[in-house]
Amino acid sequence: MTRSTTITIHVPAALRACCEGASELSLSAPSVRDALVQLERRHPSLYRSICDETGTVRRHVNLFVNTSNVRDRDGLDTALVPGDVVTILPAVSGG
Amino acid sequence: MSERVILCIGTKKGLFVAEAPKTRRGFALRGPFGPGVAVYAALIDTRGTPRLYASSCNAFFGMKVLRSTDLGKKFKETKSAPTFPKEDGRALINIWSLEAGDDKKDLWCGVEPASLFRSSDGGDSWEMVSGISNHAHARRWQPGNGGLCLHTILRDGERVHVGISTGGHYLSEDGGASFTASNKGIGAGFVPDPFPEFGQCVHKIARHEDAPGRLYIQNHGGWPERPNIGVVRSDDYGRTWRSISKGLPSDFGFPIVVHPHNPDTVYVMPLEASTRTCPAGAPAVWRSEDAGGSWKRLARGLPKKESFFTVQRDAMDIDELKSPALYFGTTTGQLWIGRDGGEEWNCLFDSLPPIHCVKVAVV
Repeated sequence: MTRSTTITIHVPAALRACCEGASELSLSAPSVRDALVQLERRHPSLYRSICDETGTVRRHVNLFVNTSNVRDRDGLDTALVPGDVVTILPAVSGG
Repeated sequence: MSERVILCIGTKKGLFVAEAPKTRRGFALRGPFGPGVAVYAALIDTRGTPRLYASSCNAFFGMKVLRSTDLGKKFKETKSAPTFPKEDGRALINIWSLEAGDDKKDLWCGVEPASLFRSSDGGDSWEMVSGISNHAHARRWQPGNGGLCLHTILRDGERVHVGISTGGHYLSEDGGASFTASNKGIGAGFVPDPFPEFGQCVHKIARHEDAPGRLYIQNHGGWPERPNIGVVRSDDYGRTWRSISKGLPSDFGFPIVVHPHNPDTVYVMPLEASTRTCPAGAPAVWRSEDAGGSWKRLARGLPKKESFFTVQRDAMDIDELKSPALYFGTTTGQLWIGRDGGEEWNCLFDSLPPIHCVKVAVV
């Protein structure tokens, strides 16, 4: 049975127009992957700004669970526990 | 309201719009529009109430299409950008061309990885054109330095030409339902076969709307062992091609533009092949008035030395006034106007971000 977990997603200013201006979203998800699935359903434009058509997180977008980049943990399979904060941030890149 | 000349200038840092009366004196610049990211494609759609469109290549959050209904005073994102079907396995990297279709809200869009999309609602939703996007050759095309892009879309009734770098020229004669590689006479300098069936690095295709049988291609030339494959012409709707490079200082370049009132007059911007910059540091547009039979250098007003910019494939255009003016933008951020068909050049703006595309229309 899948465990449900209430977590918070912090949305960067550049993407708030994709979710009616919300800076935070609350949802129940046991993993980052499941959180993204829910975002795709509820806020497709926000999801498409984070992931491409193949479901891959965009190269210049970083997802953090609390202070850890999911790339340094278990990627999209990183587990979430109640109270976790998932932060979406653009990478430091460009020129 | 009197007619105005509108320029869309796509740059590394967003879209700029410049506007002037028909005299082309006193261009006023506004922008940048978009979130400060690269714009490789723009369209000034003059069907009905003019609409301006631009791609917005957001490396962080993905591609967007921008739309303006007030001649570029403000832009909004359309509801969606072209998107590959989930099961396709490809992901959109860039938008390289936007063209008007038949109906007022019908748009065509060429993207990277090389594929074609259509919208019937002014860019709010998109559908992939399978005939070219899933062509049997599609998974064998290779990216050029700019990426694997479908950069040219030319339509003539049921006939559709697309240019792909590197894929070559593909022709549909059934409205885009199916496409055939049509590269007979178009060379390649980077594969053993000098004239392969497909895979050429076509840089840009141009033609006059009233002479659809005649087309011009600026191909990837500049190969010492395979000279004169860089600029070619077709007189049979793109079925066969022949070189018109003789007389040019270099057969390498990116843009190619046809005069709005004379299908025999064509313009190119030769570049030195190894650096992709102006030969000897002295930029010039070259014009042929006999469909490529001979060429004349047009450089009055342009720098005579120490100019080493590139003019990219979509960064040159020509307006449709009685005595048309050419416009080109450089990778060093200059926007030049060539009045009297390129006879006299002036710099309109000299410190824009690097310029990717320039489109002009009289509205």
